Amino acid sequence: MSKLLNSIAGWGVNIAIAMTALRTNLMRSILTTLGVMIGVFSVILAVAVGNGAQVSVTQQIATLGSNMAIVVPQPDSGSGPPRSTDRGRLTERDGRAILRQVSGVSAVAPQIRSSVQLVTPGRSATTQATGATPEYGIVSNVTASEGRFLTDGDVGAAARVVVIGQTVADKLFADANPVGETVRINRVPFKVIGLLESKGSNLGNDNDDQIVVPITTLRQRLQTTAMQGPDDVTLLFVGFEDEDSLLAGQQEIKRMLRDRYRVPKGRISPFTVRTTTEIAETTGQVTQIFQAVLVAIASISLLVGGIGIMNIMLVSVTERTREIGLRMALGAKRSDIRNQFLVEAAVLCVIGGAIGLTLAVLAAAVFQQVADFPAPVGLDTAFMSVAFSAVIGILFGGYPAIRASRLSPIEALRSE
Amino acid sequence: MTAPLLETHDLVKDYVIGGEVLHAVNGVSLSIKRGEFVAIMGASGSGKSTFMNMIGCLDVPTSGTLLLDGIDTKTLDSDALAEIRNRKIGFVFQQFNLLARTSALDNVAVPLIYAGLGYTERRERAQAKLEAMGLGNRLQNTPAKLSGGQQQRVAIARALVTDPLMLLADEPTGALDTQTSLDIMGIFQKLNDEGITLIVVTHEPDIAEYAERRIVFRDGRVIEDAAVKSRRRAVAG
Repeated sequence: MSKLLNSIAGWGVNIAIAMTALRTNLMRSILTTLGVMIGVFSVILAVAVGNGAQVSVTQQIATLGSNMAIVVPQPDSGSGPPRSTDRGRLTERDGRAILRQVSGVSAVAPQIRSSVQLVTPGRSATTQATGATPEYGIVSNVTASEGRFLTDGDVGAAARVVVIGQTVADKLFADANPVGETVRINRVPFKVIGLLESKGSNLGNDNDDQIVVPITTLRQRLQTTAMQGPDDVTLLFVGFEDEDSLLAGQQEIKRMLRDRYRVPKGRISPFTVRTTTEIAETTGQVTQIFQAVLVAIASISLLVGGIGIMNIMLVSVTERTREIGLRMALGAKRSDIRNQFLVEAAVLCVIGGAIGLTLAVLAAAVFQQVADFPAPVGLDTAFMSVAFSAVIGILFGGYPAIRASRLSPIEALRSE
Repeated sequence: MTAPLLETHDLVKDYVIGGEVLHAVNGVSLSIKRGEFVAIMGASGSGKSTFMNMIGCLDVPTSGTLLLDGIDTKTLDSDALAEIRNRKIGFVFQQFNLLARTSALDNVAVPLIYAGLGYTERRERAQAKLEAMGLGNRLQNTPAKLSGGQQQRVAIARALVTDPLMLLADEPTGALDTQTSLDIMGIFQKLNDEGITLIVVTHEPDIAEYAERRIVFRDGRVIEDAAVKSRRRAVAG
């Protein structure tokens, strides 16, 4: 027990000696600390941004809706960008066939997407219009927070009605309630029947910057790019009852579409069927790589900071050779000398780490405000980074410290 | 009869400089009893400092035996040697070797850190030694704010703080004026009267006359070892 107390007291003395030494060369200590500070700062920020990206992606996927397959008339290009050549056709009839023939399908939401311009007196906005049916609301979790969503009646009558997103509402109506107002879309007057429930934004992608109109209305009045047939759609959302039927259904849809369009064996299917689970996995992998790259780059600055520590500690040992000799003459063991310099390096690093951590937390908060991007700094990250900087100190301070402890007392005393 | 405090048998220290072997200390056998006040003299290069460093356990002999308080130092590792320096030997240097920007009190307390004492006890003991050196009103002064004589007294207080068996002083008056040198020798004589063994290395014959025994080195060997005939007494300052 007393031995333990003594050893704690011994470390206390070493910290006191270290603080004195660091104060003596204050400017040098600050500059050295700066290196570690910047290193820890960038590592924490990189981890935070990476975490934020992952959170964002998870949210983004969640807004798509779960247990859903997305069918687009494009050949599967793996995880790379979609290829625009070899586009197939996809029709509402295909959608109805999927609903009828594939087991476990709860709803199919055919959609046409088109870029449109909206105008109200004195204001305008450009956004993406989704031509959809009421199933769109069911499959991708879209509801109206004010007013109502589309009905079969709206679709059947090709009514000039629109449900708008929060961002669009802000642009066109400011603070006023948009429901019941009229807006001209590509010069055609539409009645606003509802406000979409806000889904926020992820990775700079604003989920509220969109409008939904009946698919029939979009086809008749807003379509700018011609489709091959009167029944063609841009894509289909296929909702499944559960995850098991989703996995089986994905393959079934692929097979069915090959059959319906008589794609010869060995030819690449002009259709891609993606599930939300797959999308989540792919984007998750991408963000993980993104985070790893960020952290790797940030770690280099921490490494440079560590080398700075080693450099300064070597200078310090050389400068204080006489002091080391004196301390040895007065009874310091090699381990005492080694610990003294180790503690000095660790103190430099921990101070740098603590400042770096503080700045990183502030920077993450500012970043979150300005860029509207989550950058959470967890307690674990904070603790890890300070511990990490202490390890850096011990690692890079170790060599100079051991060198100091190996000096011969008499040679050290004689040095000038 | 108790064993001598220090005994050397055929002590040798060689240095290799430019391919040539230099016998800095070349076969020294002598013994120093407890309570003796010894002056070691010799020109520079005579081997007196090398001898001093070996008996202070700062340097290891090339060959020969060194018995310190009955212990053969050859058998000791670096930690054990550090402990001997800490507990049994007090060093006083020509250039005082105080830690700059550190108070007199903290300077004196340094050996007690390595002796493993707690903060309060370190301060109490350091303060007592400084007061005994007449520096009770200079506890918080840094070396820069002390005169040469005061700095050397701080260094003596530091050498004494672990209550060692012997004090080794290497040219302790070399950086001091005549009057201050006298004061320091007075302090040494008083300490010796109180029973501590003193070994002072000096090249000044009149400083050596404050000791009771004089050992003269030349070319690594002892050429004279005799009692000081007309010993001087200083009035302790």
